[in-house]
Amino acid sequence: MDGPQLLKPALYAQGDDGVAWLNGGACACGHVFFPLQDFGCEMCGGFGVDLTPQRLKGLGRIVASATVHLHAGKGREAPFDVGVVKLDDGPVVRTLLTSVGDAPAPGQAVRAVLVEVDGKEPGQRVRDLRFEVQA
Amino acid sequence: MKTLSDLRPVYVVGVGWHPYRYATEEPYVTLGLTAVRQALADAGVEWPSMDAAFVGTALLGMASGRPMLRHLGATGLPLVHVENASASGSAAFRAACLEVACGLADTALALGIDKAIPRPRTSSGLGGLAEDAFVAFTHFALLTNEYAARNGVAPEDVALVAVKNHGNGALNPNAQRQKARTLDEVLGGKPISGTLTSLQCCPVGEGAASVIVCSEDAIQRLGIDPGRAIRVTASAVGSETPGAGNDADAALTRTVIGRALAQAQRKGTELDVLEVHDAFTIEELLYAEAAGLCGEGQAIHLLKEGAFHLGGQCAISPSGGLIAMGHPIGPTGVGQVGEVVTQLRGEAGARQHKGARIGMAHMVGLGSVAYAHVLERP
Repeated sequence: MDGPQLLKPALYAQGDDGVAWLNGGACACGHVFFPLQDFGCEMCGGFGVDLTPQRLKGLGRIVASATVHLHAGKGREAPFDVGVVKLDDGPVVRTLLTSVGDAPAPGQAVRAVLVEVDGKEPGQRVRDLRFEVQA
Repeated sequence: MKTLSDLRPVYVVGVGWHPYRYATEEPYVTLGLTAVRQALADAGVEWPSMDAAFVGTALLGMASGRPMLRHLGATGLPLVHVENASASGSAAFRAACLEVACGLADTALALGIDKAIPRPRTSSGLGGLAEDAFVAFTHFALLTNEYAARNGVAPEDVALVAVKNHGNGALNPNAQRQKARTLDEVLGGKPISGTLTSLQCCPVGEGAASVIVCSEDAIQRLGIDPGRAIRVTASAVGSETPGAGNDADAALTRTVIGRALAQAQRKGTELDVLEVHDAFTIEELLYAEAAGLCGEGQAIHLLKEGAFHLGGQCAISPSGGLIAMGHPIGPTGVGQVGEVVTQLRGEAGARQHKGARIGMAHMVGLGSVAYAHVLERP
């Protein structure tokens, strides 16, 4: 699906079935991680050719969720929902959810989607990743 | 690999504070000198008898120690600054203990001090999907949600931790929050994140805490009252490993407290007092279980029975904890040790846990790192 540019193209990409991919990596030792990095493997210390990109399907289950009522940072208005998602491909990610004030409960299946949000420039629209409850 | 228990005995002989409070314009130097002078007076020793000083601070910036300590008389003693996020004070205390235990010094000062100065972390170069959305209280709101779902616990149950700790803080003249709170007050406070309300979150202000540690030789040589000396029987530290999931702080705490208890040859159920990193209510439950006071999911039941109150099985956060005593960052870990020492001496007044003989101070620092120290009345 075409649309505005991605806010963080290094971290995710549009999938061809409506579910976004996350740009992760894998080490020769078998450890799968997100985001992709070339600093070194947190599990075994492998680096260089040991680390290869691996697309992670944006499917998983909620580990924990919360509605943020008061946010300490700038540039993000509360309330909004956040979650910890255990991806089916292994890594655990912290992410924004599409819900507001109705965060899915632990154990619920979720999927990654790209939604339009305001960009940094006035009037700019970009696409950013969120997780939503699987239908 | 050797541990503190393999080296010569170390004792805490002096404790002191500048009360924790909301931010003021007063120079940090005043806060630090107040805490150090109180600790010296408590030990009954003079500043020139200090062989080394360790200053734990996360927010003051570079080289804050000498502009402060020189006003005690510039003796030229070795001076080291220690930063380990929220555990900076704990790290300074450990460094002081090890300096004495291995014989490099006979006496050492550990001072924790900070002002509420915003210090953003330097980026590692790795971004996240929305890291700006996950400030500390939201991280712990998520842990609350996970724990509640796993153990069938209601938000009002978790809030009982705050009721207990505000009650303890009301008895502590050094606490930032000194007002007892009802469950309705805690639950009715400003919603912050998830089910956490403002009174379930620690205040970050300013203050200072100081302890003096020394060897048995120094106790004799300096004429220190051995009856008020509290022995440090274990010092353990560790950092996070991969794969612990969202609950990494509790997993790390379990490991580190396990090491500390093994050093001291104690079990968690032997602890009389326990100061934990209860920056948010859920943490006290997680760490009580990680310390082995009870099985997973059982902390709420014990809390409701009064097991963690003053006079209970193990008084947790008798100072008021980070929630009521406050969390000025650098001072916090040192202040915890001071509270445990005060309890084990039987000098805690209205908040005294009767018969306290064995205590632990536990701290987590962003990263994560964790510290645990066991202290015992000889």
